[in-house]
Amino acid sequence: MNPLPLSSQLKQLLPRGRILDSPAQLAGYAADALGYKSYLPDAVVIPADADELVGFMKGARQLGVPVILRGAGTSLSGGPVAAQGGVVVHTSGLKRIREINVEGFWCEVECGVALNDLDAALKPHGVFYPPDPSSGPVCTLGGNVASNAGGAHCFRYGVTSNYVLGVEVVLLDGSVQRFGGPAGGRGPWREDWKRFMIGSEGTLGAFTRFWLRLLPLPEKVWTLRATYPDLRSIEAAIHALVAHSSYPAAIEMLDPRGVAMVETSQMAVGLPKGSFMLLLEIDGPPALVDARVGPVADLLRHAGSNDVVLSDQDAMRQKLWKARKAAGGLLGQLSPDYVVQDAVIPKSALADVLQLVYDEADAAGIRAVNVFHAGDGNLHPNFLFDSRVPGELEKVELISERLMRRVIEVGGTLSGEHGIGNDKSAYMPLVFGPDSMRLQWAVPAAFNPTHQLNPLKVFQNRRFAT
Amino acid sequence: MKTIAPMQAERLFTHFLDPVDGTLCLPASATATDIHAQTAGHRLRFPLVLDPGATLREHTAAATHAPASCRFGPYCDNILGINWRLPGGRLARIGERVVKTTTGYDWLRFLLHSGRRFGEPVDYVLRLRPDCGFNIEARFEGDSQALRGCVSRLLHSGWMHWWDAVDFITQDAGSFVRVSIHCPSEEAPIFEQQLNRIAAETAAKLSVRHDAQPPLDGLPDVTVKTTPDRAISLAGQLAREAERCVALCYNGVVHVHLGEGEDMAGRAHSLMQPHIGELHALGGDWHSRWLPATPPSLTESQWLETLERTIHAS
Ligand SMILES: Cc1cc2nc3c(=O)[nH]c(=O)nc-3n(C[C@H](O)[C@H](O)[C@H](O)COP(=O)(O)OP(=O)(O)OC[C@H]3O[C@@H](n4cnc5c(N)ncnc54)[C@H](O)[C@@H]3O)c2cc1C
Repeated sequence: MNPLPLSSQLKQLLPRGRILDSPAQLAGYAADALGYKSYLPDAVVIPADADELVGFMKGARQLGVPVILRGAGTSLSGGPVAAQGGVVVHTSGLKRIREINVEGFWCEVECGVALNDLDAALKPHGVFYPPDPSSGPVCTLGGNVASNAGGAHCFRYGVTSNYVLGVEVVLLDGSVQRFGGPAGGRGPWREDWKRFMIGSEGTLGAFTRFWLRLLPLPEKVWTLRATYPDLRSIEAAIHALVAHSSYPAAIEMLDPRGVAMVETSQMAVGLPKGSFMLLLEIDGPPALVDARVGPVADLLRHAGSNDVVLSDQDAMRQKLWKARKAAGGLLGQLSPDYVVQDAVIPKSALADVLQLVYDEADAAGIRAVNVFHAGDGNLHPNFLFDSRVPGELEKVELISERLMRRVIEVGGTLSGEHGIGNDKSAYMPLVFGPDSMRLQWAVPAAFNPTHQLNPLKVFQNRRFAT
Repeated sequence: MKTIAPMQAERLFTHFLDPVDGTLCLPASATATDIHAQTAGHRLRFPLVLDPGATLREHTAAATHAPASCRFGPYCDNILGINWRLPGGRLARIGERVVKTTTGYDWLRFLLHSGRRFGEPVDYVLRLRPDCGFNIEARFEGDSQALRGCVSRLLHSGWMHWWDAVDFITQDAGSFVRVSIHCPSEEAPIFEQQLNRIAAETAAKLSVRHDAQPPLDGLPDVTVKTTPDRAISLAGQLAREAERCVALCYNGVVHVHLGEGEDMAGRAHSLMQPHIGELHALGGDWHSRWLPATPPSLTESQWLETLERTIHAS
């Protein structure tokens, strides 16, 4: 162990201006978007570029404290926080878009590039990068890759792991490894190591840059919004949509509690009281989507909606999205704290699992709002509570555990796009049996055997032993 | 938060068909014909087929992509879960039956094409797609410039999302571009209009067959992964030593069919030797079902040994 104090050691690795260690500075890094659990790091470093990040990682092992990578800190699972203390590495300096190759359908970006900045850079080339978490204006590609981010348009386009062709990563031994590249294969390696990197939540290495797959931009989008009087009829609509040949890009749902939240706010859009809202998009060449939009609207009506609104005009489409988008922001305003779960279930269990959320939350006196990616069966029950009120957090944890048990019973999984972090790590034994659990532990054992990188994440007892 | 007790047994997949979620669990020894028999009645299909008589295990051992990967992505995006037999004989559950997961490290994508080193697949959970009941196969013929123009137009617009496959095929008789489309029959005229437009713009000759079979090229002898913009010329070079090359244009994949002959392993190896440097520099790769995987480097061996220690301990 190095006898020097941490701050002196850090100054040997990085220029002075890149190191934050005053309590006021550190406070800004104590939590992620989950908010209610905070952990003050011992220091924060902000490398100016990839070389500085590599230089830091080469010396990181000697620091003898945990190292936590952090992009924009918008994680909803307690991912980029110093749960066991240590140094947070903020990647905001690595924000170059290095190449856009339209003919090859790929781009090369640094890990600190904000998702929407990439979108803006790609648009003039007629291509796009599909994963679209709602945190797009600020979240980084590093955070997206590390938590295998999804978004509203996953039903057709899929999640981040469907688009990562290559990853450059600095490991704790200081080596810089490239897994894959523009061609998206294994490169010179025998095995496809990038597969473990994607979704690894900062526990295997520090990503510096990525090669990402692109698609041509669809020329036209139709947005449709429908409301339903009950859970069974909206469920029928969702089931019919996922089997429909128009293959919607997005199938999103807001429940009556979410509708009420929007309608009693300044963001009200006039949704019927007590209704379930379904929002979907079909996109593609005009000739195709214009022919499809009629049958899709009919399908929505046939499932029981007498309130279908649709548009292909940008301004109106934004209005149709407004309730869905506003819901996310309102959650934070309505309650001092909230937990958002991220379970994925087979869609045949949708009504059943939502009912469990309502029953459990009502019985505990906890407000629950559901706004989620219905096409994927990716639930986001938001439990609103106040962590200052004794017992509230415990109630939410109990509901969450019962929810997770039910999710696993019906064949689902803990997380579809937010990752496990330290928020869902306790539930991992519900998913993995003895052998698959051993396989899971083998991965950090290969790349981060001391658990110095992001300890206490993914697995509750994955602790850095100094 | 309280600690949840570890599970005593693996939560293995049992065979099922979930028509609502569009998922199917069946043995890795099932063939595409077996899948079709189970799914057709539900108007669902598994589009990534190379050879209707080959098993799923043979498919994933031979290739990472199929022609319909143009629209639906590689096998690893369409196989959601696996019951995996570990070298010691026990079964472990890998992946999920739902369409999206970020729970734990992605062993599914790691193992799917890793050969037999870590064991073998016993059952697969497949993601199915709506079966619209109608297939179109279009063929563009013409000189090389016209064909490249066709591919560029097919891929560089929003239509690209709706072609099941865009393949550049090179064989003795010359080259052509094959497009396959799967759609409701009432949409066929809309697709054909676009194909005709492309043919007119590129001076390529277009022929269209309705109610065609999806393309079934058979299992490739060699699979190469490069970038989409290099796939056609690479296929052209490889075709000089092979019977047939199919470039899956958007995926940047070339399937090489060597044709009948002795020493498939030797032929595959010598065919690929001149290209390996460039492929690796691009983060691409190649493999042949006739050849064992290349030996790992020293660094890689250390990671593999750690994984193997755990896997063999199981
Ligand atoms: C309002 C809101 C809406 C959201 N909507 C969505 C949504 O629709 N879909 C969705 O999937 N998510 C959503 N999220 C969650 C979150 O935005 C995503 O998980 C996002 O990918 C996190 O990116 P980030 O840059 O903020 O990463 P951070 O929160 O900083 O970090 C996330 C994880 O990535 C690791 N990490 C970050 N950078 C690196 C690196 N360079 N190398 C290695 N590891 C790294 C961290 O250690 C951590 O484990 C939402 C969050 C908010 C607040």
